[in-house]
Parts: sequence; structure tokens; C-alpha cells
Amino acid sequence: MKKQSENVKDRPRTSGRDFKQYKYFRPKSKEELIRIINDFQKDLTIIAGGTDLLVANYQKLYEIKNWLDLNLLNEFKNIKMFDDKVEIGSMVTHQRLSKLDQIKELFPVLHQAAADVGSPQIRSRGTIGGNIVTSSPAGDLLPPLLIYDAQLKIISGEGSRVVDANEFFTGPKKNILKEGEILEKIIIPLKEEVYRGAWIKVGKRKALIISSISLALNLSIDRSNLIKKARICIGSAAPVPLRIKTAEQAILKKELTEINIEEIAQIVSEEISPIDDIRGTAKYRRQVALNITRKALSEVTNQ
Amino acid sequence: MSKRYVGKDMLKVDAESKVTGRAQYPSDLKFDNCLHVKIKRATYPHAILKDLDINRAKNIDGVVDIITAKDYPNLNKFGLIIKDQDVLIKMGEKMKFMGDALAIIIAETEEIALKARDKIGVEIKKLEVITDPLRAIEKDAPPIHEDLSGLCTDYLKPNLNQKNILVDHYLKKGDVKKGFTEADLIVENEYRTQHIDQLPLQNESGYALYDDKKDEIKIWAASQWLHDTQADVAQSINMSKEKIRIIQTAIGGAFGKKEDVSVHIHLALAALHTQRPVKLEYTREESMIAQSKRHPLIIKAKTGVSSNGYLTAWSVEVIGDTGAYASSGPAVVHKGMYHCTGPYNVENIEGTSYAIYTNNTYGGAMRGFGTTQMAFAYESQMDILAHKLNIDPAQFRYQNAYITGSVTPNGQKLGKSVNTKRTIESVIDLAKWEGEINK
Amino acid sequence: MKITLTVNGEKREVEVKPQTRLLDLLREDLGLTGTKEGCGKGECGACTVIMNNKLVASCLVLAVQADQSEILTIEGLNCQDELHPIQNAFINKGAVQCGFCIPGMIMSSKQLLDENINPTEAEIKRGLSGNICRCTGYVKIIDAVKEAAHKMRSRGEDDV
Ligand SMILES: Cc1cc2nc3c(=O)[nH]c(=O)nc-3n(C[C@H](O)[C@H](O)[C@H](O)COP(=O)(O)OP(=O)(O)OC[C@H]3O[C@@H](n4cnc5c(N)ncnc54)[C@H](O)[C@@H]3O)c2cc1C
Ligand code: FES
Ligand code: FES
Repeated sequence: MKKQSENVKDRPRTSGRDFKQYKYFRPKSKEELIRIINDFQKDLTIIAGGTDLLVANYQKLYEIKNWLDLNLLNEFKNIKMFDDKVEIGSMVTHQRLSKLDQIKELFPVLHQAAADVGSPQIRSRGTIGGNIVTSSPAGDLLPPLLIYDAQLKIISGEGSRVVDANEFFTGPKKNILKEGEILEKIIIPLKEEVYRGAWIKVGKRKALIISSISLALNLSIDRSNLIKKARICIGSAAPVPLRIKTAEQAILKKELTEINIEEIAQIVSEEISPIDDIRGTAKYRRQVALNITRKALSEVTNQ
Repeated sequence: MSKRYVGKDMLKVDAESKVTGRAQYPSDLKFDNCLHVKIKRATYPHAILKDLDINRAKNIDGVVDIITAKDYPNLNKFGLIIKDQDVLIKMGEKMKFMGDALAIIIAETEEIALKARDKIGVEIKKLEVITDPLRAIEKDAPPIHEDLSGLCTDYLKPNLNQKNILVDHYLKKGDVKKGFTEADLIVENEYRTQHIDQLPLQNESGYALYDDKKDEIKIWAASQWLHDTQADVAQSINMSKEKIRIIQTAIGGAFGKKEDVSVHIHLALAALHTQRPVKLEYTREESMIAQSKRHPLIIKAKTGVSSNGYLTAWSVEVIGDTGAYASSGPAVVHKGMYHCTGPYNVENIEGTSYAIYTNNTYGGAMRGFGTTQMAFAYESQMDILAHKLNIDPAQFRYQNAYITGSVTPNGQKLGKSVNTKRTIESVIDLAKWEGEINK
Repeated sequence: MKITLTVNGEKREVEVKPQTRLLDLLREDLGLTGTKEGCGKGECGACTVIMNNKLVASCLVLAVQADQSEILTIEGLNCQDELHPIQNAFINKGAVQCGFCIPGMIMSSKQLLDENINPTEAEIKRGLSGNICRCTGYVKIIDAVKEAAHKMRSRGEDDV
């Protein structure tokens, strides 16, 4: 290996000054984490993978006072399998989600969505927790979490609470999380039925792109081949990831081949509330919503 | 076509330094005791600068100085073809786009320079912001450059606002009236293209150093026009050319964007002012805001064709949004017009083009220099005509293609290397085009 | 705050501020300017390095977060004068133009080939999808990765 030292000799050290002013916390356990939150609640900035935070604070990182880095919390990186549920720690990265066979098998839509996030460099750092807490309407893991009826476990100095993912998001980049609350894990129930799912992400190119619109679909089929539960969720087409409940209702208790794809596609296109922005006009999004619903339903029903 | 190089994997002399990371781009250099420079830019695209409060910023620990136009009242304007761009906007004068520089902040660290930049207070009087060149040429539109008299010719339509027209051009070949009379079908359409950033992977960046013994300023920064940049820096700060040295480092891409002066003059001033090494590196946003773009063109094309599919006349009006400053605009819009028929033979041609000032980021050079925008228009015209004539679009192109001896719109007789037909043949092959062409 | 990390096989101890990015640590403090900054926002990949066997954009990692980690940058790829097969392939295939994207491209190629020594063209494209090149149009870069993979397979080694 080449010695680098010679490169470095005469370089002035630019970092290292004024560190004392602010604190950088790296708790290793939940207890330590809670202690820090209780002491520093107000001026604490939480960092997970940093792929949203560092972008949002580009060239003003020095304004951040005290950092709370979750990266050494190994217990937040676990994926635990139970008979009736799977628990995914908030610090699980997109890379792990997209490479784990169990996730692929149980929640193919989540698996595919994670594989479509950004680029290898982003997936290796970006976490599911960060994706949820950023709460962008374009967050790619959100529609998949909603169609699998995920729940979120939130902890704080006062204790913990579990909420439905569907109740978590309140607006673009807004959610119910209060100061001093941390997302600990995501709990996805496991059901006996067979799942049929689809994930479609539409953006201006294939990699490194924020979704212009996305669709996650999951149909649970019972023993008599009827659709017992239907979930359709659209991303980037409303202030929050949006479940299209009228469309879900219209699919229930039918066999796959009985689904009226055109009707459902029409409903989805009408129920979303897209806006004009740099990624597309509202009109474009309505049209594409129609097309991708059609495509997703054709895929899962082989129609 | 050179068989020695085209399509071959060429060994390049500097490739090894680049795959090992040893090649030094401007921002890879290192100077002891170096200061960091940031630029405070316009806060509105079209406004009069009323007041600039730099006191709070200057008091920050580590700020060495903040230069405004007041400190250097004799700076001259700069620019590639026409010198119309201010180094620093003077009090009472106008900022004309978001990239205009108001102050140069010099500090011990980048962080301090950033903090200071954000503490500068700017008071302005807003003016109508002109983002649409068609608005700019309306009679009642405010002039963007009061002090410039446009380079307009007699061909100019009398109802246009001459003040915002940087330059116009006129093109005439054959007899376009006759050509349209002979046409069996005439198609007329308007095409619009958008701003495109060249986006070289390395942002504008550089260092400068003032050598007091030689009274010389050295600037390490990329430039596509080394000597033009040297001359422009020299004239803008009233030094002689020999006293300015531009040292070309490795360049992280340019594609036309680095034809214009970027960090150079501000670096030179900062170096002169502090007599210490100075560094200025744009962020990607800054590069997008402050440096040139591909010109958006509005192209009105009218094409006449005979019923057997031969072009008889082509007229074109090209309106180029050159943004706040001229840069390469006069040449780009001009050249674009000359390519109005692309590689197709037309006897009778008429064209006018205008480069128009707006408050958008200025248009400059980018790969193709106006011709790629035109290709969108003429190829669309060709498709539409072929469709209307019910002729195979490949055949239609083929039978109108340039051959040796064809004469271009600007009167150049093509002597050799005219491969349009061969190109079409290859394309037909590669695309597995189903139609037959008649050779 | 003092952190300890291994960069290109050398143990380093550095004082960093909380806001120092790994990119700044490498370029400014350690003088490893082969790693480039093209956007600072994770979009271009010019700052790509390998951290604990994972591909990261060093502009989106805090230096503190690299504490106790192992970092490989472009400067650590070749031993002394002998170039890594990927570096050789980039030269031989004419995959280098302005070169600004190249260190990042090569690090992504390295990570890709470490995980999969026989990638398909689609897998190469996916492996390099976080790196933008404005000069080459990618064709020759993809050729270079193929050639490197081929050379590395026939040598039966995955690292130098
Ligand atoms: C180039 C690029 C491409 C991208 N592409 C995509 C894409 O295709 N799809 C997509 O959905 N996203 C994309 N993103 C966005 C981002 O990568 C994801 O949202 C990622 O999942 C964020 O996770 P993180 O761990 O990096 O979050 P961080 O940046 O660390 O944190 C984000 C926010 O959440 C808070 N936070 C994080 N974890 C917790 C927790 N456990 N409890 C409480 N608060 C917490 C932080 O305080 C911060 O406010 C992209 C980003 C970049 C830079
Ligand atoms: S500089 Fe890090 S991805 Fe562009
Ligand atoms: S070689 Fe210039 S950006 Fe890739």
C-alpha cells in the first residue's frame, strides 16, 4: 500500500477547532438514547443515514447544535421474524432491505421499492426510519408500508406508543412525531393469505430519481380465491402517501379475473390530488396514475 | 473519416494521472495561508441596488474584508464578445439576473465566509422581471441595459423594442417568394427549446495569488479561452495583460460553460486586495445560477415543398433568449439561423434572428452552438411534411439531402466530405427501418 | 473530537468537527484529493469511496461517522507503481476524458466487482448508477468494467 503521509505533511489542519461548543452523541443502547433525549430534547438534531439531513443542511451544517447519531444503536438495525409479524429496526438501510431474501419473499413490494431508491451510494446509508420521518410525499418506502398495514413504534423519555403508518403522515414533510420522539421500529403483521403485489415507480430516469408518481399494490387472496383485502397506495400525488379506499372497496370479495381494471384505474386517477411541480403537472400525474394502475392490476391478475 | 482514430480505444497521455487520482484540478491545489472567497449575489433578477450593509458581516471574527464596487470604482465591464457584464454591481445601478455579484467576501475559512455572506443586508427597488423574450421586445418593456445601443440592422421590424435586442441577423438565399409560389404544400410551425445547463462535473473553481515583486497576478482556474480570459481579466481591473497569468490545471469538463469568465476576476481582485492566496469554488447551485446556459430558442419555421417531395422554400425567424448578458449570444443565435435547413438542400431561403436580453441567466456556448436547437425544428418540419405528403420520412430526407456541390444557406458550396446520404443509409440499416428508399 | 480510522490501509487519528464531512476530512485533512466533489448532495457520485466494504457518497457521511471505519479511496487502489486492473482497463479502453468522475467511477466498479466478478451489462449499469459522467456517454466506461472483470476473473483474484 502506498504511503500517504508525504501528501499530508504540510497541510494545515482545517478541522478540529471549536468542537467543545456542541455535542455529538452516539448512544450504544436504548437506555443511553433515552437519557440523552431527556437531557437535550430541544437542541438535538437526529441523524440516521444522513442522506436527507445532509442535503437539507448543505453548507450550513455548522448551524446544527447538538447531534444525535443513531448509527451505533445496533438494536435498531435488527430485523426480527415472528409468527405473526416482522419487526424492522428504523436503522435498517435500503441496501439491506433490497438484499434480504426474507423481505423479498414476504414483502416483495417493499423489497422492490427499496431496491429502486436512489443509487448504491444512497441505499448503503439511507434508512427506512429516515425515509419515514422525512415524510416526503415522494418517499418510496411509504406506499409499500401502507399497503402492508405497517405500524410504527415510537419511543421517547415518557414511554412509547405504536401508531398505524397510515395515521403517521399529516402533510408534505409533516408527521405526528413530537420533539424528543424517536422512531424505533416498523412492525408489519403477517397474514396467512397469499399476497399478490406490484410496485411501479415513475421518474424522469431509472436511477437517482425522485418519483414523479409511484404505486404500491397488495391483494390478499383467501382460500376460496377471493380477494379478502385490497390495498392500493399512490405516492407523490397528494400531500401524503394516499390509499385509494374507494378503489380498494371495489375490488373486495372478487376473484382476480373479475376485477374491472378500467373502472379501478379511473377511480385512482380521480381520487388523487396531485399538484404541478418540477416533476410533472397534475394533469400528467392523473394520466400516469391511470396507466400505472392499469399496468399493476394487469400484472397481478394476468389479465 | 480517419480510420486511425475514430471508433478506436485511444490511449490518452493524461489518463493514468486521472485513474490514480493524481491529476490536479483547480480545487485540488493547496496554498499555505490561503483565504476563502464567497460571492454575495443578486437578491432579485431585476432591481436597483439601493443599499448594501456589510458592517455586520465585516465584524464577524475571521472576515478579512468585503469588497464592493465602492472599493474599486474604476472596474470595467467584461464579456466574451461584447463587454456588458459588471464585475460588481454599483450602488444605484441594476442587478440584471440572479448571478450578478454585489460583494466579494474574503475570510479565513470557508465557513466564516458563508456566515458573513448571509449577514450582508441588501436593499433594492424591484423592477419588472422579464423572463420571456417576446415580452422583452414589446415596445413598452423596460430596457435591461439602458446604456447599450443594440447592434440592430435595417432589417429590423419597426414595431419591436430595439433596446432589448442585443443583435439581429438576416439571411437570404435565392428567391423565397418564388419558392413558396412553386410549393404545393406549405407547413408553418413554432418550436421552443429550453435552457440547458452544460453541467461539467467540476464546478467553476480556482485560486489566485498576487506576486508583489513582479506586480503580477497568477490565477489557477479552468478556461476554454485562455488568452481571451487573460485579456478580459486584465482590462476589467485595468492591468496590462502581461501582469495576468492564467495557469491551466486539469479541467473537470466544460462543454462551453467554461468559455465565459467565472471565478477569475473576483479571484484576481481578492488576491490583489489581500496580497494572500485566495480560493473561490462555486457550488453546483451557484454554477447553475451564475454561469451560462444553452440558449432557449423560439423558432418559427415555414417550409414549402413540391408534391413530389422536394423542398422549394424555407423561411425562419429565430428568437434567442440571451439572458442578462451577451456572452456568446450574438454568435450562437446567428449560427443557429444558418443551420435552419439542417443537412437538406433548399434553393430559396430567408431568415431573421434576434438575440434578446431578458433577466434570465445568460445564454452562452454549449456543444453545437445553436445548431442542436435548430435540429429539433427542422427535423420536426421534415417529419410533418413527409407525413402530410404521405412519403416515407427516410425517403423524403434522402432525396433532399446535401450532396457534393450543394450550397448551404450562407452560400458555402460543399466541396468534399458530404456524407448525408451515407449517414441516412446507415441509420436506416441500424434502425432496421422498414421502408425502402429510392437511391 | 478525535476519531481513528484506517484509510487505504494506514491507521489515522484526526481531530474533526461535527460538521466536517468525510469528503472534507479526506480532501482537506488527509490530502487525498483524488476523491472529488461535484455536487455535495449525493447526486453525482464524484465523491464515492468505499467505507467498511460499502459504497458511500463521502459528501453525505460525517467524518465522525467514519470513526473506527475502514476507508478505501482511489489513492489506495494501486500498490506503488502497479495499477489495479480496473485502472488499467479504464486507460486501455479510452474510458477517461476530463477524468473528474473517474475516481468515483472506479470505486463503484471496484465495489461492483468485489460483489460480483462476472456482472452482466445491466448489472454494471446498475452498479454505476450513482455516478454521473458528462463526457464519455458511458459506453467506454462499461467496456472498461467488462474488460477489468474479464482480466480479474482470468487471474483468479479479486484484489491486488
Ligand atoms: C441522491 C439522493 C437520492 C435519493 N433517492 C431517493 C429515492 O429514490 N427514493 C426515496 O424515497 N428517497 C430518496 N432519497 C432520500 C433519502 O435517501 C431517503 O429518504 C432515506 O431513506 C433517508 O434516510 P436517512 O437514514 O438517510 O435519513 P436522515 O437524513 O438521517 O434523516 C432524515 C430525517 O429523519 C430524522 N430521523 C431519521 N431517523 C429517525 C428516527 N429513527 N427517529 C426519529 N427521527 C429520525 C432525521 O432527524 C431527519 O430529520 C434520496 C436522497 C439522495 C441524496
Ligand atoms: S459530491 Fe457527493 S455525490 Fe456529488
Ligand atoms: S470523464 Fe468527464 S465527467 Fe466523466
